[in-house]
Amino acid sequence: MSFFNFHDPEVLRTWLLSLIIFLPALGAGVLCVLPIRSDQFFKRFSLAITVLVFLLTVWLAIPAGDSSAVGHFTLGEPGMQNVVDHEWIPSFNIRYFLGLDGISLPLVILTSFLSVLAMWASWSIDKSVRAYCALFLLLETGMLGVFMALDFFLFYVFWEVMLLPMYFLIGVWGGPRREYAAIKFFLFTLAGSVLILIAILVLYFTSNPHTFNMLTLAEIGQMPDSPFHQTLLWGKSVSWWAFVLLFIGFAVKLPAVPIHTWLPDAHVEAPTPVSMILAGVLLKMGGYGIIRICYPICPDAGYELAWVVCGLGTVSMVYGALAAMAQKDFKRLVAYSSVSHMGYVLLGIGAWSATAEFQYNTDYWTMGMSGAMFQMIAHGISSAGMFFLVGVVYERVHHRNLDQYGGLFARMPVFSGISMVIFFAALGLPGLCGFWGELFVILGAWSYSKVLAVVAASVVILTAGYILWTIQRVYLGPEYKGPHGDALTPMTRREKYIAAPLVALAILLGVYPKALFDYVTPTVQKTVVEMKDWSEQPKADSQSVGWVERSEPHHRKNPPKKMVGLAPLDPPYFSEQPSVDLQETEQP
Amino acid sequence: MDINSIIPLLLALAWLLPLGSFALIFLFGPRMGRAGRYSAYLATGAIVVSCVLSFAALGFWLTEHYPHAAAGHGGHVAQPISGEWYTLAEFGRLRLTIGYYIDSLTLAMFCMVTLVASCIHVYSFGYMHEELSDVTDPLAPLSNGQPLRRRGRYCRFFQYFSLFCFSMLGLVVAGNLAMVFVFWELVGICSYLLIGFYRERRSASNAGNKAFIVNRVGDFGMIVGLMAIWTGLGTFSFAEIFSQVRPIAAGHQLQTPEGLSYGLLVLAGLGIFCGCVGKSAQFPLHVWLPDAMEGPTPVSALIHAATMVAAGVYLVGRFFPVFTPEVLLVIAVVGCITLFLAATIAITATDIKRVLAYSTVSQLGFMMLALGLGGWLAGMLHLFTHACFKSLLFLCSGSVIHACGTNEMPEMGGLRRKMPITSITMLIGCLAIAGAGIPTLIGMSGFGLSGFHSKDYIMAQGLLFSTANPGFGPIFFYAALIGAGMTSFYMFRLWYMTFAGRPRDEHVHSHAHESPLSMTGPLMVLAVLAVVAAWNLPFTELGLKPLLEQARPVGTVEGVAGGMLLPNVAMPAEHLAHEYANSVKAEWSAFAVALLGFLLATAFYGLRKLDPADARRTFSPLYKLFVHKWWFDELYALLLIRPVLRISNWVEAIDKRVIDWLADNSARAVAAVARLDDWIDRIFVDNTVNLLARWTYSTGLWLRRLQTGNVRQYVMWLGAGLVGLFVLMNLYWNYATAGG
Repeated sequence: MSFFNFHDPEVLRTWLLSLIIFLPALGAGVLCVLPIRSDQFFKRFSLAITVLVFLLTVWLAIPAGDSSAVGHFTLGEPGMQNVVDHEWIPSFNIRYFLGLDGISLPLVILTSFLSVLAMWASWSIDKSVRAYCALFLLLETGMLGVFMALDFFLFYVFWEVMLLPMYFLIGVWGGPRREYAAIKFFLFTLAGSVLILIAILVLYFTSNPHTFNMLTLAEIGQMPDSPFHQTLLWGKSVSWWAFVLLFIGFAVKLPAVPIHTWLPDAHVEAPTPVSMILAGVLLKMGGYGIIRICYPICPDAGYELAWVVCGLGTVSMVYGALAAMAQKDFKRLVAYSSVSHMGYVLLGIGAWSATAEFQYNTDYWTMGMSGAMFQMIAHGISSAGMFFLVGVVYERVHHRNLDQYGGLFARMPVFSGISMVIFFAALGLPGLCGFWGELFVILGAWSYSKVLAVVAASVVILTAGYILWTIQRVYLGPEYKGPHGDALTPMTRREKYIAAPLVALAILLGVYPKALFDYVTPTVQKTVVEMKDWSEQPKADSQSVGWVERSEPHHRKNPPKKMVGLAPLDPPYFSEQPSVDLQETEQP
Repeated sequence: MDINSIIPLLLALAWLLPLGSFALIFLFGPRMGRAGRYSAYLATGAIVVSCVLSFAALGFWLTEHYPHAAAGHGGHVAQPISGEWYTLAEFGRLRLTIGYYIDSLTLAMFCMVTLVASCIHVYSFGYMHEELSDVTDPLAPLSNGQPLRRRGRYCRFFQYFSLFCFSMLGLVVAGNLAMVFVFWELVGICSYLLIGFYRERRSASNAGNKAFIVNRVGDFGMIVGLMAIWTGLGTFSFAEIFSQVRPIAAGHQLQTPEGLSYGLLVLAGLGIFCGCVGKSAQFPLHVWLPDAMEGPTPVSALIHAATMVAAGVYLVGRFFPVFTPEVLLVIAVVGCITLFLAATIAITATDIKRVLAYSTVSQLGFMMLALGLGGWLAGMLHLFTHACFKSLLFLCSGSVIHACGTNEMPEMGGLRRKMPITSITMLIGCLAIAGAGIPTLIGMSGFGLSGFHSKDYIMAQGLLFSTANPGFGPIFFYAALIGAGMTSFYMFRLWYMTFAGRPRDEHVHSHAHESPLSMTGPLMVLAVLAVVAAWNLPFTELGLKPLLEQARPVGTVEGVAGGMLLPNVAMPAEHLAHEYANSVKAEWSAFAVALLGFLLATAFYGLRKLDPADARRTFSPLYKLFVHKWWFDELYALLLIRPVLRISNWVEAIDKRVIDWLADNSARAVAAVARLDDWIDRIFVDNTVNLLARWTYSTGLWLRRLQTGNVRQYVMWLGAGLVGLFVLMNLYWNYATAGG
């Protein structure tokens, strides 16, 4: 087979996806050897690369319709599309296996999109620009690879590839405490990725034949007599351990309380564009990993530990919001708002409501998980926007003390107007992107646990509190109270061009969320239905303790009720509730 | 022409026009004429056209559903027009859409909102005039003590106004609860932006924050209600919810639908009502509305009197079919407490706008009370009449403030000669809100200003309820009566203090002047409305009451005899309230207390026969309670705000002191272990190796001495060695062989 036979769609697809992933790395390589010494050139060159990658990913997102063009996305098709599968290291059955579906495609586009904006926001970097640009491009390769890889080994390679450039970007180009922040970021994430590696190896060696193929692993994990059910350690199954290890690894990245404290420090010290990428893309890898890997491969552990996932999500939401309220540093506040907002993602993913108690109705969980996906994209837009806006004002006055702002509306009207839109998007105002994710997550959580849903809903009050208080302290008031007041010049044209697409997307997704749900929902629904089918399986196999425990989890008390039992009962207004009747009639 | 397609189209246009105006002003506002003065024409044009379209839609509606006298109570059921415009999201069988649910209530609301908004837009031409040039704001002092000078923001005001009109109309036309919630939040944010219009003032931005956050507390409850309904019924659409909760098969009587237990149905109702409590500033979330008076007066008139705050009442009315008797009773209790509480505070307030604000809270309480007691029409009618006279009163107060430059009534007085139009229109407003009219006399049915009719309905419902529930029912009726008396008292107190008597502050009085026509014109229009709003067109059956009667939710015509949790409560049917005996009694008692209030106000402030200071001294504890607004703000600061801030500080401390301490110290521990390792390496391992090396070396050094190069010495050593070897062999050989 020739890799240059461009008439073969298979070959074209390989080139297209590989180009998207490796073009930035290639660019980084070229940058390193070019005999040019112009900083401006390096930035322009990198920007051009990121724009090119962005255009290629947009090509991927165009709905296929009737056209037979390679790479277009078929809407409504839940499975993997654009699959590229080649041998890589045959002796270990490691493959160069890429693909896209409704979960990864939006994240890929978010990555390439934010990379363009962040690269453009890097104009203010003036220290070792060549190295900065090279590392930035390498980082983009890592991020895109993580979202597109379907082979676990490949996934892990990209995961690590993304880690190191980030370490240097924070540690070299950061603020005064950059070394502390960088090492903290690195160690937290590394600890998580070691756990992920262990889980990958455990799964690899348990599967037979040994495989790193995520899709195959998911199939194995969902089989009634899955080899993952054998006991591994302390009476818990392979599946349980794999889930826990993977989950911790991804939760660090998300980040979930209590393993979130690397985030505020990393954000405070990181330069603006790196913060944009960090909040906009890197955090999403945690959520992506949980949706793509944890649940499909280890459904029984996901079922058993749903309350942990949801509980952590809710705690993160409340905790992050409260912590944000106490901050004096503008960037720290935005960082904690990220913790709070990413808590919704956990809650939406984990709210396993397709149970017997609920007649295996998958719609609500689909809604919650789609909401979590939406929340990830929306947070990518709003948090990247917020970090960019903080950066704009920081570049002017060189401080971030919230008590020393005020009156920015008069000094920088356009900037303040844009800030209002972005901050309101983060506040979850309807008509802007932040609203739908939160709404659907909370609505989905109710059918899993009413208590958690109510606690989660109460976060809207705290969010309004810290966002409005911030707006008041920074933008309102009669005059600017801090140092370097003369430097508060209106936004430059470049800054406006960076902010404008974020504002436009925030409004577009807020007004027409279906644009995103059309991509996301079919795939999410497929995942959820798989989980439901798994939980409906007869529980014959009960050799391991982990497997036995699942047959009576904490919230599945009643035997499955069939829809037949819910005949159109129309009890009169004052009569007993229908559910009472049902239970009496159904259990002889 | 088919009204099912033309009416949604007309309303959609009426709804979207203000959005277009908002977008245009947002983008090009400051470039519209000098200082953006044409933006006002654009916004006003949009809302006036909306108004025309709304009335056109109403006309189309009447071609099919003309109210007939024979219709009586709920005889003629007009089928609502509902449908969808587009889908927001779809998950399996769950769908969320932007749609519409149009009945005569929707149409009446459209007409009312656009009409009042048009008047207030025109009024704002004059009122916001000074924003056309640079403004000096003494209320926002700079750090050097100078007053702030800033650019005018004329176009921004109209921009927010347009956004508000769009949001409000969206809320009214909404075909499902989620859409209501979307626009619910949007009107909230418009309110936030407009309260904080003078954003340089600390008090204004505080008030904006307070309004939004308190509303969010209500919205939190509303989300809980939404969750219960969405999960239980699988839909947000009004039409589907109503048909599930009140199926035709059951004669439209309230049922526990499949998927929702009775408890959850109650919870859903309470949750939705919780949102309404926030938006309509009911007890205990009433605290934001008086502070919201920091906004410009047209804002207070449009948003915080006529439309947005009434949205809560509107939603209760719209969602009425789903409320169980328990929920209705809660609504009545909340309304009752609110109307009484707010009225007491209004009696002692001296800021003219705050009096009106508390009066608004109190009147909204009346509406809630009426709805809670089963008086759907009474509550809804009062919503409309209140919108007319309260926006009139606010605009009049704005005219006064514009003339005097102060909000404080003790600095006013004697303005009626300087401002004749304002004083007369305001008097009409006062009469309307007090419910002036002639009660039923032998053979002649009662007749009066708009407020007379609506308040009369509320009183009648209250009286009927107290007859039906002799145990606790009278509390509601008498609270409402006292509230009505206080209404009359504080409104005439306001009028007397402002317009009657002699000027208290010469400086203020000498500068006062009648407002320009752009401001007095709307006053006159609204004054007419305040008089006639509740009347039928002469010689026809066409009027607000019959129109609203068409929209009465099916199945609520008959009374309900208690719920599952509170079986002893009876919700009497509303039409019984209009029976002669009941209504005459209610009318006369309302008339009597209003008259009493008026006479007391005249005695205190008009004729000055009685001194308010004496009353203050006599009822000192009560006065303190009222003037401090029952210490609600202080209470909330103590019980809610400070604890939350303290907890947030704790959380921050946990992050720094616990989690980071653990992380840092485990890193330090690892580093310490590494250092220990390093130390062990250096002390033990290295030293052992070094010692060995040193020994080897020193042995070597020592042995070196043997290498002298002296052959004779070597031979000597060789010999000695040989001898030694033999000696050893002799010594050990035997032992070794013996041992073997």
